[in-house]
Amino acid sequence: MHKLLKLTSQLILSTLLMSTSIASEVNIYTSRHYDSDDALYAEFTKTTGIQVNVISGSGNALMERLKAEGDTSPADIFFTVDAGNLWRVQKEGYFKSINSKKINDIVPNNLRGPNDEWIAIAKRARVVFYNPDNTSIEELSNLSYEDLADPRWNGGIAIRSSNNMYNQSLVASLIANHGIELTEKWAKGLVANFIRKPQGNDRAQIIAVANGEAKLAVANSYYVGIMLSGSAGNDQLEAAKKVKIYFPNQDNRGAHINISGAGILKYAPNSHNAIKFLEFLLSERVQRYMVNLSFEYPVLENIEPHPSIAQFGLTFKEDQTSVADYGKYNLNAVQLMDRAGWQ
Amino acid sequence: MFKISTFLPWTSLPYLILFFFSLPIIIVLSSLLGDWSENWIHLYNYVLFDYISSSIYLVLGVSILVLVIGTVTAWLICSYEFHGKRFFEWALILPLSIPPYILAYTFTGLFDSYGTANNLIRVIFNLDTSFILFPNVRNTLGAIVVFAFTLYPYVYLVSRSAFLNQSQSMLEAGRMLGLNKVQIFYKLGLPIIRPGLIGGLMLVIMETLSDFGAVDHFAVQTFTTGIFRTWYGMYDLSTAMQLASLLLLFVGLIFIFERISRKKAKYTSNTSTFRPPKINQLSGIKSCAASLICFIPIFIGFLLPVSELTIWAFQYNLDFFNHKFITTMTNTISLAIIAAILCAFFALLINFSIRLKKNTLSVTSNSLLSMGYAVPGLILAVGIVQLFAWLDKSIFYDTRIILTGSLAGLVFAYVIKSYALANSTFESGFERISRSIDDSAKTLNSGGLNLLRRVHFPLLKTSFLTSILLVTSEVVKELPATLILRPFNFDTLAVSTYIYAAEERMIQASAPAIAIVITGLIPIIILTKMIRSSRPTDR
Repeated sequence: MHKLLKLTSQLILSTLLMSTSIASEVNIYTSRHYDSDDALYAEFTKTTGIQVNVISGSGNALMERLKAEGDTSPADIFFTVDAGNLWRVQKEGYFKSINSKKINDIVPNNLRGPNDEWIAIAKRARVVFYNPDNTSIEELSNLSYEDLADPRWNGGIAIRSSNNMYNQSLVASLIANHGIELTEKWAKGLVANFIRKPQGNDRAQIIAVANGEAKLAVANSYYVGIMLSGSAGNDQLEAAKKVKIYFPNQDNRGAHINISGAGILKYAPNSHNAIKFLEFLLSERVQRYMVNLSFEYPVLENIEPHPSIAQFGLTFKEDQTSVADYGKYNLNAVQLMDRAGWQ
Repeated sequence: MFKISTFLPWTSLPYLILFFFSLPIIIVLSSLLGDWSENWIHLYNYVLFDYISSSIYLVLGVSILVLVIGTVTAWLICSYEFHGKRFFEWALILPLSIPPYILAYTFTGLFDSYGTANNLIRVIFNLDTSFILFPNVRNTLGAIVVFAFTLYPYVYLVSRSAFLNQSQSMLEAGRMLGLNKVQIFYKLGLPIIRPGLIGGLMLVIMETLSDFGAVDHFAVQTFTTGIFRTWYGMYDLSTAMQLASLLLLFVGLIFIFERISRKKAKYTSNTSTFRPPKINQLSGIKSCAASLICFIPIFIGFLLPVSELTIWAFQYNLDFFNHKFITTMTNTISLAIIAAILCAFFALLINFSIRLKKNTLSVTSNSLLSMGYAVPGLILAVGIVQLFAWLDKSIFYDTRIILTGSLAGLVFAYVIKSYALANSTFESGFERISRSIDDSAKTLNSGGLNLLRRVHFPLLKTSFLTSILLVTSEVVKELPATLILRPFNFDTLAVSTYIYAAEERMIQASAPAIAIVITGLIPIIILTKMIRSSRPTDR
């Protein structure tokens, strides 16, 4: 036991020393957990010689760590999914403007935070999935998110729990467009149309549609790409082959878009490297690489997403509602869903 | 002779330890003194009572089930000889290596309408795809089963060690008074193991209440999912911490209630008349039935999830087991062992000092630290982060952070999170040592640390090993606190699993999940052997 203690304390010491500063580095707090991201970091180090240090975890928890660390925080970049998270970090005053003309030229206005404090790195759409075997495209013509509350879809809709931030952002975007009262009425109609108590993740909803349990499912676009890749097993691959994407609200504001995004922190010790890192993420080569593995949509317009996502259409209309609004109305969205009985 | 007890280092030291380690819990609790936001009105009007009622339902269901599984299997193991008993004796602990959220994921993988189990049935009996044999598990009942079959070992372990420590003379007395076997079990067997049993049950309740992963996966709205919804969805951390504090107060109430209700009873046995209970040989059908009863919990809590994980792992990423995996495993094991040893020493020291000089303050603060187990990991982590950042700024006064994101911080978190496991083991261990032993030791001038080292510690060997076993397997599984407290580029097995599992990418998560199980098994196997050899007859 004594030997073991000695050994472990040595291990601790060496790790502690290891984590102290290396000449050129960039420190990232991220709530994205994709294998593809690890390869990205390695590639960045290879190209620039800048070491990438990462802590991944729940976005909300990382933010508390940021807050507690304050001006002593070693973090340079906050990288996360869902615009609501980015909006919050900004509101708490932990971001600073990203002063890079190059970045501002690439990322369109609605995909940037106020004051250019954060930017989108990739996009995803929250769309409707259907199974052509039992739901025809005619039945769906001009379908909008608003229509999902229509009694004609009674007992036909699968969607996950309102604990999920993607749903919270979707509802927040409806609040931004229609106000709380109308959105609440809509939510009640939607809940009445649920085929089952919300359960499982987005993929579980897509599977429900593939199996014919539900007629429509609301889920993020990239999930079907992951399922089609076969990395999630044969059952999911088979299910994904049966479904199609329908992009809602094409005759008005467009399909709901959310982002993976990042910002540079106010007390970043390596701001310069951080800007380099963001520029790296937005380069053509990296964008292509990234979306090919994550099945998201690229921010650069001249790049196509992975073919298994591109097959569902590339020319769909995207909602231009500012993604910053998702954060702004998130609290209202959650309370509204509680009132509507959306579990 | 020189009397150490005059300056009492072991009675003041425990206070310091307790105080320091309780700080994050106090930080969480102090949220109650802050402003109560208007979100409370919303919670009160729409969701609070649903959260409370479903949590109570969950806790009651889990408690009943773990008590039945834990005591019945322990009683069989300790009182009878039957087929496969030597195997079951340690195999019944195996589910400890499965975190509840992993059992939950494998359950849905198996029993969802298109899960492995239903598909298998359809293939075997050539049935239509609309045929669904196994019921939906994504509900409170499913959650009860998941918690009960992963947590019953807490009850099994304490019951087993208590049954082993009960004396044959007591059972004979019972038989002479005309009790039959069942009556002996619940009139004599159960009451004597009560302190340990309650301790084990408290652990189960606290873990059930603090869990987020499993209930979230089953879409069961509990008090804890409510805490996270308030934090993540309403962006209101202080209300979330207030909710967590109320949860803690509730657990505190159970503590107090339990203590009052057993205040007068003493459960020590006089070791000088100790004779181990006689083991009865079961034969034929009875022997098979006993084996089956012991097999079911192992099957549901261990074999089932491990086979599903193995199927997944073979479908995908066996390449997880590479050189990085070795580093990750070393990280996990060394952290777990350090935390386990620290916990065991703290709990030993603190319970010893309480035994020497019982006062309200020490008992209260001991319970306070134990409650760390009931705080949802992430909320506790927030308390710890705030404490560390404050220490970094005020004490170390450095421009860089030292404690935050250091391994010392992680070990600190693990000790708080799993102290209850060590404490409950030592508490029941000490309770079984007769006071008369202390008195005789004192007459031989063996007081203070000497008493601890030469008299109590040898008697507590089983408790010590059990405590290390429980804490190690808990730390191996722990993740939410690890996630935000760890240094840059530092992974543990639970982190690798969680990163995937959180997004329900169980296929990818299966390889690291199996690694958790394997890693958790190593201490279980070593320690069960040691525990087995430390039966009371051997001392």
